[in-house]
Amino acid sequence: MNHLLLIAVLAIATALGYKVISEVPSLLHTPLMSGMNALSGITVVGALVATAGAVSTGQRLLGFVAIVFATINVAAGFLVTHRMLRMFKGGGGEE
Amino acid sequence: MNYLLLVLAAVMLYGIRLMSSPKTAVAGNALGAGAMLGAIAVTLLAEGIITYPILWWGLAAGTAVGIVGAVKVLMIQMPQMVAALNGLGGGASALVGLIIALQSSVSGSFAAFTTNLAIMVGALTFSGSAVAALKLHGAINQRPQKLPYHAQVTGAAAIASVILLFRTGGVAVALTQLGLALAFGVLITMRVGGADMPITISLLNSFSGAAGAIAGFPLQNPLLVAVGGIVGASGFILTQIMCRAMNRSLVAILTGRTTTAAALSAQLETDALEEEVAPCRWQEALAGAQRVVIVPGYGMAVAQAQRLLKELMDRLERLGREVRVGIHPVAGRMPGHMNVLLAEVDVSYDKLCELEEINEILPEADLAIVVGANDVVNPAAMNQPGTPIYGMPIIRVDQARHVLVLNYDTKPGYAGVPNSLYEQEHVSLLLGDAKETLEMLLDWLRQPREEEAPSGTHRAAELLAEAQRVIIVPGYGMALAAAQQQVKQLVAVLQGRGTEVKIAIHPVAGRMPGHMNVLLAEVDIPYDLLYDLDEINHEFAGADVAVVVGANDVVNPAAQTAEGTPIYGMPVLHVHEAGRVVVCNLDRGPGYAGVPNSLYDLPQCLFVEGSASETLQQIIDALAGRS
Repeated sequence: MNHLLLIAVLAIATALGYKVISEVPSLLHTPLMSGMNALSGITVVGALVATAGAVSTGQRLLGFVAIVFATINVAAGFLVTHRMLRMFKGGGGEE
Repeated sequence: MNYLLLVLAAVMLYGIRLMSSPKTAVAGNALGAGAMLGAIAVTLLAEGIITYPILWWGLAAGTAVGIVGAVKVLMIQMPQMVAALNGLGGGASALVGLIIALQSSVSGSFAAFTTNLAIMVGALTFSGSAVAALKLHGAINQRPQKLPYHAQVTGAAAIASVILLFRTGGVAVALTQLGLALAFGVLITMRVGGADMPITISLLNSFSGAAGAIAGFPLQNPLLVAVGGIVGASGFILTQIMCRAMNRSLVAILTGRTTTAAALSAQLETDALEEEVAPCRWQEALAGAQRVVIVPGYGMAVAQAQRLLKELMDRLERLGREVRVGIHPVAGRMPGHMNVLLAEVDVSYDKLCELEEINEILPEADLAIVVGANDVVNPAAMNQPGTPIYGMPIIRVDQARHVLVLNYDTKPGYAGVPNSLYEQEHVSLLLGDAKETLEMLLDWLRQPREEEAPSGTHRAAELLAEAQRVIIVPGYGMALAAAQQQVKQLVAVLQGRGTEVKIAIHPVAGRMPGHMNVLLAEVDIPYDLLYDLDEINHEFAGADVAVVVGANDVVNPAAQTAEGTPIYGMPVLHVHEAGRVVVCNLDRGPGYAGVPNSLYDLPQCLFVEGSASETLQQIIDALAGRS
């Protein structure tokens, strides 16, 4: 993809994200943030590609650390969000 | 493949959309997780790198650490958890940028620029988040720290970092950028005080997304760009909301121009105030309050008083009070934190009201209870221009008829502004650890019943012990309290003492004709003890004690005298003719007909308040203890 196209993707995604996230009630802002932590772990995709293409041990080591960092984000982010969301109960008590 | 990746990004966006309601949010999160897994699988397959062991080791290690962390973290620690994850996200993006720079495989100045920018944003997110997480965790001092020439050093680092962005030039530039950005992140966050952390971690949340999006450019990966953009937008929105809620400007916070100013002058004033904190009228306020609004702050969380708060809500509701909880946007340490803490102790989210909503309710409220909240209820935000909180939207507890403040002390909050609420006429202060003060309120609320009950039940047992003839009058309240067994036991104990016992059944006792008989038959009370209205009414005058168990309208003498009331003319059991009357009802409120029961006011009446299953049991125990 060329740069202009990527910039367009960025603009559209940011605008759509802004609109969708504006509708999340403040009740759920903390799980929203931890959910965003999980999504920012998307860097793992970049880390995988970069590590696979590493040409020296040093690069591979950096890549390994990057994969670990990003995967922690993905796993912990989604799991902790799940833990929190499950706690929210409405008036009837039963969900 | 690019289009497939964009579809995955769309799925993640849809998952976030589902988070707009607590009912669908769990599914939304799962959808996001599924899409993430899909993205990783697609990448491994499409790039043909699925067989590289190092990748799998990395994924396995990250997953293991992530799961352990997510399971172990306490809800109150969520801000530092999110801060730490912000940092890891930024760190990962910075490392990706660094590897690309080291490979020097990037071609063209745009790619070099974005690589450099990814390193910069990622690294400052990493180091800034590390400081924020450590501050939130209490591992380092939470107060704003200032180095000599702090502003100048920070500015120089920022300028150098930006200049470097436009230098294409391999490893040296990349490493210098890394170092500068790491330092910049630390310099910025060390000046931020504890109170401004919600804004700071929202901003870092945004940066962690932005770093990912930027790293997507040199990699030409649309998924990274799109999802990073979404995360960036989310953090940006939350930062805006927090700034508005705290009446701060982002620039002022990042340059450390908040928090500290007013703190010292305030200290002196409050010392004088503490002397005046005198006898507290909270008991009256609590006793009469029908509509109660509770405003929890971070002080409640610090005292770990969530469960007691929930207990207080439950008890008030059981007493028929209406309870709402007002949540200020910056209550707690990060957006929505207070909601999570309350959800953890099973407070229903229907009871939680946002700022605008609760401010509409407050003028109608009889009582506002502030638990460990300070700046967010400080009227100075409205009437003291020049203070750091002036202009910040607050929860208007001062509008309630009475305010009860359960704070640790009268010192100013994070903003350093003395709370003018404390001086107002209708405000009572109950200082100390919120856990202890809430326990005090709970004790007091439990008191009337427990104090009256033992003595009341004891007196009732005495009366019954001396009685020759006893008539028991069960009502639907007995069934609600599930006290049939106790009625049966009472009959047995009395009969064992040689007392004559009859049970009077009103035609409308229970919920359908003959209902009460069935309920008593179910617990094996012989039906020859049961007498209907016409059979028993003339016998009350000869009875020593009548025991009313959860019956109200059907024993209300007002039915004979109070013209115009709904029950006027209704045949009632003549309980009032008995020598003494023991009433075991839940409370003194009127029955279904809404007419106050004049029986309760008669001199021969002994009212034993509380759930009949408990009070009867106490009477039975006391009676059995006598023989």
